Amino acid sequence: MSEPVCIRALPTSALLAYWLGEHVAEEAATEEHLMGCARCSARLDTLVRLGQGIRRTTRAGNFHGVLSASFVEALRQDGLRVREYHVPRNGSVACTVTPDDDLVVSWLAAPLHDVQRLDLVFEDLVAGHALRMTDVAFDPAADAVVLAPNTTALRAFDSGPRRARLIAVQDGVERELGSYTFDHTR
Amino acid sequence: MPVLSLRPGRSYAATVQEPVPAIDDGDLAQRIAMTRGDADAEAELCRRFAPRIRLYGLRHLRSAAGAADLVQDVLLMTLTKLRAGALRDSGKLASFILGTCRQMVIDGRRGGRRRERILETFSASVVDAEEPGEPLDLQRLESCLARLAERERSVLIMTFYDERPADEVATALGLSPGNVRVIRHRGIEKLRECVTAEAT
Repeated sequence: MSEPVCIRALPTSALLAYWLGEHVAEEAATEEHLMGCARCSARLDTLVRLGQGIRRTTRAGNFHGVLSASFVEALRQDGLRVREYHVPRNGSVACTVTPDDDLVVSWLAAPLHDVQRLDLVFEDLVAGHALRMTDVAFDPAADAVVLAPNTTALRAFDSGPRRARLIAVQDGVERELGSYTFDHTR
Repeated sequence: MPVLSLRPGRSYAATVQEPVPAIDDGDLAQRIAMTRGDADAEAELCRRFAPRIRLYGLRHLRSAAGAADLVQDVLLMTLTKLRAGALRDSGKLASFILGTCRQMVIDGRRGGRRRERILETFSASVVDAEEPGEPLDLQRLESCLARLAERERSVLIMTFYDERPADEVATALGLSPGNVRVIRHRGIEKLRECVTAEAT
């Protein structure tokens, strides 16, 4: 049996807001719509499945990105084993990843208060290639950037140096905020 | 009274023998009420509403097992009422089901004595309300996630890891809640398109 579809579909933003509990006043109306609408409920189901996939990917450490300090703390409280390195500005650190680590994060100390756009360049000095992460999220009030490299990729690294560089960008002009060397051991 | 024809491990659609023209929820409810248990109509009702009830359960119970129980309880209650002709306005089937969801979540009756009595009534029937849907290809998702803009990836991870609202993510990243919503919306749409495109 096929079924009629709704005429006025809820926008994705409304579905996300409902799922995340952001629009309490509109929750009842949204639920009425969803219970009567196969198409919108299927769209919400897709978003929820994507969200669940993101959570599983995060728990497995199979991502790279910049996070916040509070989020790293939430991961730890959730039972993830997080190996952390605090790297001073223009400093270096000896590092590794073990089978017991779910995630490895590095705190890159830098003055961020006047930065408008921040790029992060990660250089694999062993393999001879670099990855530029453009316009990363950061808190200007913080004194460090929290970098989480892909744990699976880290495990495949040969021993040797890698380097991260933080670059502030304003009006097309680049300014290096700091350089951070990782002496990685397998 | 005829028994429900649903069996564990079978899809609801599989119990429908012949294609039937589009039928709205009200007509479906009437058909069940008039026949006191049209198996095809009941299977169709379960096929339609199980995923929606499951979503409601996930949203309010934050538990897959709790949501699965809720699906079974609400569908059993709904079919019981429909067979008994207790739903006066068949055009309000969705509202009735939503109201039942809300009441059951509030009452916390899942798994209780009421459910056992209903299951005894439908002694030969089991409603398999698990609705796993198409499994998500995690490797594909990871690949798509890696292709997002940096801010989009950070916002999506911090949002969906433990389902944080925009204001909490905004505070953690030094952004405005409105900015987080824009980035979040853009990121999830890109991710959906990427995962869907590669899946087809």
